[in-house]
Amino acid sequence: MRNKFKVAGALVAAAVLALTGCSSSGSGGGGGEDDTFKVIAFTSGNQTPVGAWWVKAVEAKAKELGWELKMVQGDFDFQKMNPAVESAIGQGADVILDGYTDNSSIASIVTAAKDAEIPIFAQDAGTEPTDSFVTNITTNQQQIVDKTLGAISDKIGGLEGKTIMVIGHDPHAGIRERSRLAVEALEKAGAKIAGGEIQQVTNPGVGRTEALNFVADYLAANPNGLDAVWAGWDDAALGAAQALAEGDSAAPVTGVDALSETIAAIEAGGNMLATIEQPWPAVLDMLVKDVEEYRKSGTLPAKDFVAVDVTLVTKENAADITPSDKLG
Amino acid sequence: MTNQKESTRTTAVALQQSSRRVGSVLISGSTVFALILLILFFFAMRPDTFLTFVNVRNILYQISILAIIAGAQTIVMVVGDFDLSVGATSSLAGAVTSVLLLQEQGLGVALLAGVAVGLAVGLVNGVLIAYLKMSAFVATLATMTSVVGIAYLVTGGTTVFGMPAEFNQLGQGRFLNIPLPVYFAIGISILIWAGLKYTTVGRRWHAIGGNVEVARLSGVNVRWARLLAFTLAGVISAIGGILLAARLGSAAAEQGADNTLFSVAAVFLGMTVIRSGASNLLGTLVGVAIIGVMSNGLNILGVNAYVQQVVTGLIIIAAVTLSGLKTRER
Repeated sequence: MRNKFKVAGALVAAAVLALTGCSSSGSGGGGGEDDTFKVIAFTSGNQTPVGAWWVKAVEAKAKELGWELKMVQGDFDFQKMNPAVESAIGQGADVILDGYTDNSSIASIVTAAKDAEIPIFAQDAGTEPTDSFVTNITTNQQQIVDKTLGAISDKIGGLEGKTIMVIGHDPHAGIRERSRLAVEALEKAGAKIAGGEIQQVTNPGVGRTEALNFVADYLAANPNGLDAVWAGWDDAALGAAQALAEGDSAAPVTGVDALSETIAAIEAGGNMLATIEQPWPAVLDMLVKDVEEYRKSGTLPAKDFVAVDVTLVTKENAADITPSDKLG
Repeated sequence: MTNQKESTRTTAVALQQSSRRVGSVLISGSTVFALILLILFFFAMRPDTFLTFVNVRNILYQISILAIIAGAQTIVMVVGDFDLSVGATSSLAGAVTSVLLLQEQGLGVALLAGVAVGLAVGLVNGVLIAYLKMSAFVATLATMTSVVGIAYLVTGGTTVFGMPAEFNQLGQGRFLNIPLPVYFAIGISILIWAGLKYTTVGRRWHAIGGNVEVARLSGVNVRWARLLAFTLAGVISAIGGILLAARLGSAAAEQGADNTLFSVAAVFLGMTVIRSGASNLLGTLVGVAIIGVMSNGLNILGVNAYVQQVVTGLIIIAAVTLSGLKTRER
């Protein structure tokens, strides 16, 4: 019996010592008292090719720059990701990196970071300036629309009087914004939006099939009734291009993402006319430069929102583009 | 006076029975009526388009893969269970086949590997449910989760493409101007229908679905029969997934995801078609046709995709309610 008390006492003492040790190493907010630069990085989109690349690229940067990195991969599950990030914030950090996760989905993380006075540096985390981030570097949505619609216009001899289908997916902030801008630009140019509104893909996991069905059904009802299809992302664009090819329509399609499959389709010379390359490695370099500046001097980025230029990918330059799913 | 009372009572009973019969007929035929009404409605709205050869072919093409996967779901539901992993299994089978083809394996090897994936997932489901006594909901939910993860590992989280033309031909080729998946769907449906109706194991599945205890007491090896049902469902789902990859010319981890919900919905819709209110292949095909006609018709009318989703949900609720009434009536 006495031995049991001794064992229990030893366990309690060990636990107290361990907890004391833990609490002294995690002073919170400022990332501790040692010289270690603590970074929490999170992304909900790690199951997408670009998200998966971002995880690897940030891990490589952390290794190169000597950061102590805590990476949280959310699998599009905010109920899982947000508490994990908040828990990491509770352990203390100097900086938080947000990759491809829209501001609207991480309110609790933003609150926790503000309470702990940890700045959030974001990459493609919304399409408008917000005080949630000290900076958000993304791509220029207006330029994406101008370049893709310009390519369509050149191909079909102007937009006026033409019928163009716009395929979007509103839950994604970037796609929502550029689809809206595309409709605005098309209506301004005198084009007719097929179906009268943006065709919304409800499940991006089966976006290609949904887009294929939209176009196939529209063509069945309106043979030769489509002059072009503008899609907010490549997977949907590829579905639309397949439906057009099956329906013997020559209408061109544009997408956004520069996936290797899209680039191959553009090079093959079918309905897939163009896509957009977004320079994610360059964006990450800019973001890391801002973080390092903050680490050295405590200076926060001058702009809370930066929209970088994009490249239109056509048959002419397709061979020179690194596909977004082959970045890492 | 007494005679008059008796006559009134007889008339009332007759009226009651007659109204019950009308109600029963309405419930029995409701799914078929719904399909006919939908076709008439869309035809009335777009007479120049809806029943044209091109559009009917379109509908058949769009529902062919779902028909195959719903066939798999029907087998499991005949036994009184259901399988939440059919969509994930189909995606994984398509992904494995596609990746092997990209690694320059022969078409036969890749196709067999894809089917083997379905066999393996089905076997795991069967063992968990029939032998380890897990509930079908928990077991297939768990396998679905793992299978989706494996599919992401197989595809590397990306969409794989560039499979040989001979493979894509399976999903995109045509015979007599009708896409090949339509023929595959018809062939597989006939096999499932015949298997359920005319084979010993088919009758045993029905017996288990009707009353598992009675089936057991009658000498049916319930565990083996359930294992077989889930295994076959896995194999058929895999065939559906392989055809989907061939149809799209690409494979991704979750590209068959929608088929799980829609296959269950189709079976529920089909349960109202026959008198017993049990799962049956012909009813399932009617259910698949309703889903396909509705989606195509609403697209043609330019109805918002979100509204389409609401309508689909409402139809599923109506179907489940009707099949509930049917069961109660039985």
